[in-house]
Amino acid sequence: MSALSSFIRGHGRELVAQLSQHLVLTVAALALAAALGLPLGLWLTRNRRLATAVLGGAGVIQTIPSLALLGFLIPFTGIGAAPAILALFLYALLPIVRNTIVGVESTPSAVKEAAAGMGMTDLQVLGRVELPLAAPVIFAGIRTATVVAVGVATLAALVGGGGLGVYIFRGISLANTTMILAGAIPAAGLSLLLDAILGRIERRPGAPLVPVLLLAALLSLAFVGRRTAFGPSEGRFRIGVQPEFVERPDGYAGLSARYGLRARPVELDHGLVYLALVEHRVDAVIGYSTDGEIAAFGLRVLADDRHYFPPYFAAPLVRSATLRAHPELRRALSQLSFRLDEKTMARLNARVEHEAEAVARVAEEFLRAAGLPPGPHRRGPSADVVVGSKPFAEQYLLAEMFADLIETYTGLSVRLETGLGGTKICFEALAKGAIDVYPEYTGTGLYAILGAALDHDGTAPARDAQAVYDHVKREFARRFDMEWLPPLGFANTYAVIVRNDGGELSRVRTASELSAALAE
Amino acid sequence: MIEVDRVEKRYGDRLAVESASFSIRQRETFVLLGRSGSGKTTALKMLNRLVEPTSGIIRIFGDPITARPAEELRRSIGYAIQDVGLFPHYTVRENVAVVPKLLGWDERRIRARVDELLEHFGLPPDRYANARPRELSGGQQQRVGLARALAADPPLVLLDEPFSALDPITRREVQREFFRLAENLDKTFVLVTHDVAEAVAFGDRICLFEAGRIEQMGTPRELVLEPRNDFVRSFFDTGRLELELRVVSLAELAPYLARAPRLEATDVVEFSATASLHDVLEHPLIAAGRALSVRGEDGRILAIARAAALLDAFYARRRVEPGG
Repeated sequence: MSALSSFIRGHGRELVAQLSQHLVLTVAALALAAALGLPLGLWLTRNRRLATAVLGGAGVIQTIPSLALLGFLIPFTGIGAAPAILALFLYALLPIVRNTIVGVESTPSAVKEAAAGMGMTDLQVLGRVELPLAAPVIFAGIRTATVVAVGVATLAALVGGGGLGVYIFRGISLANTTMILAGAIPAAGLSLLLDAILGRIERRPGAPLVPVLLLAALLSLAFVGRRTAFGPSEGRFRIGVQPEFVERPDGYAGLSARYGLRARPVELDHGLVYLALVEHRVDAVIGYSTDGEIAAFGLRVLADDRHYFPPYFAAPLVRSATLRAHPELRRALSQLSFRLDEKTMARLNARVEHEAEAVARVAEEFLRAAGLPPGPHRRGPSADVVVGSKPFAEQYLLAEMFADLIETYTGLSVRLETGLGGTKICFEALAKGAIDVYPEYTGTGLYAILGAALDHDGTAPARDAQAVYDHVKREFARRFDMEWLPPLGFANTYAVIVRNDGGELSRVRTASELSAALAE
Repeated sequence: MIEVDRVEKRYGDRLAVESASFSIRQRETFVLLGRSGSGKTTALKMLNRLVEPTSGIIRIFGDPITARPAEELRRSIGYAIQDVGLFPHYTVRENVAVVPKLLGWDERRIRARVDELLEHFGLPPDRYANARPRELSGGQQQRVGLARALAADPPLVLLDEPFSALDPITRREVQREFFRLAENLDKTFVLVTHDVAEAVAFGDRICLFEAGRIEQMGTPRELVLEPRNDFVRSFFDTGRLELELRVVSLAELAPYLARAPRLEATDVVEFSATASLHDVLEHPLIAAGRALSVRGEDGRILAIARAAALLDAFYARRRVEPGG
């Protein structure tokens, strides 16, 4: 708790900014959804056949995973608040439209018949009878939409839209519980607050709901439009980064200090940074040197000529308890040691990500070529060893290889738990014994998990990949009872990556040249 | 007042009402009688255009009802239905005031009218005007529904089984109250019902529907005593004795009265010759044993007798007259 309060004290201004961004995103989307969904729902009660189609369509949108929906929207809306508001709007629409239709249609038929028989026009029946009677159901829809929207709005952090999700996703990447809570607790509070406000409004009948909502939507959008810092502004150099990169000791602050780089970081999900780059929504990104997209999109990696990014090894991180129970694991997994260089890894990643090849096949073919042909799979729900991974191509591939090797060279059975959402989740799962091994990077181990700070001149404590590995191995064994097996070979470092499409940066080859070009 | 001319209503292949023609006179209570699904309710709803006929024409006071907007037509016609359909979010006062409000009456006039009607229906305004429908009993709700139908003082009132959902005791109460009030109102009522006794008791004329067609139309007496076919006869067979007691007038019984012992014309209850034996038997003083006198339309006393003698005459007539 004291960690949380000191975090909040240290990040007070940023937290307030994120909270207000979150509020604006949510209110703008909700107000739009209500201002459009309410009349739409009412109109659909008069066009029943169309209603089925519209509800069906809205239902389909609802089933699209939020991050996927954001991915679809980026080519049209760019990054920033726009895709986030649009996605939230689409999610909020269904409960509002559906509840409006259900509410109006639940008016007893005798009441409707009496109203018509008295000589009310259709509009009078709607306005004086059906709408007031449907109000509680409609409000329930708006309140459902509100709670959903506050939750989904955290994903705005992954498309450069800001909000409380920034801390949540940074926290997950950095295994920092305090940071997650600093985002999650205000989000929960916001949800309760908005729900309470709606409850208040509901108990005051006769509130001119639609005009009020429209006004709120307009104000929010105007706010969004004015706050250029909120969305990516034109004319300024934008660098797309993963949330964790902003906060890491070897992250953005040090990079810009080392190179005197004057640019604005835009936080994006790792899966979306390249999309944003290719779609010209950002001008450069910070990626990993082994990312498959570099080759697939023909991107250019700028040389780190001032040696800011330390090289890190990837290696299997295993529970020592598992190794004690099954010592044969060590030999099986060590066979991969230094068998994967950077180029090979990038090529394998590209095959999975851009040539849509099956992970299992790519892994098997690599092992076969490396002289480690895997035997038949013996996977099942109950297994001796559980292999985990984070949710991106390289991790899926490495986990598959680990599993193949364990099954081929030990008598143990394996279960895969791949796609776990980030460092924090993988590390905690390993600590709790929910998984036994996953591929991890020594840099992440050093900065995210051990929390080592940069020394005063902005350099990492160890410039040498082997030295970092040795340090991390020693500390993990001592503190967590976990063991780093021998490195896989490739050094996975962060890298500044730009488009190779002959723009202003066509002659820039190094990070220093980039900085110089931007200073002009 | 209302002319229904070869009106049909078709739903897909089904003919709900088949070429119906009838006319309704001013100030009468015209009953559309039939089983459920016979077409009687469809026929009623065509009068205020809640249902539009497939073909045929309906005129009210000579003008086709399609000559003006349906809403305007409906505001000029009272309407009460079986399920009442009070607006749950309105008070009793607001419910009754719906049509006057739609017609743009001023507040004071509406207020006075609502108070008057609630008083008539035994719902003192100071107690009930601000109640919500859910606070009322079923009978009270239907009273409000009927008051609402009469609120704007329409010359024509459509009643779609307004008493059918009530329990038997409440039903009799509300029926009687309503028709006693209606008698003095100078209005035309069209009543849909499946209840033969209700039709005979309150209808001036009855139009019997079956399978979308009119089987017979006429006074209760004609339908009960002179059925045109077996269907009509069997329709009125349940409770026939009571129906006959209702439709046979005292004037018709006079010839069958036995030469009874002479009674003094004092201390008797006087009935008009058009009254029915049912009216007589229900009278509390007759039930207590008092004799009655029957006064003809010309003012002459036709007979003085006790109820028992009238019943004898009823059975004597029944042996020789049609329909018996």
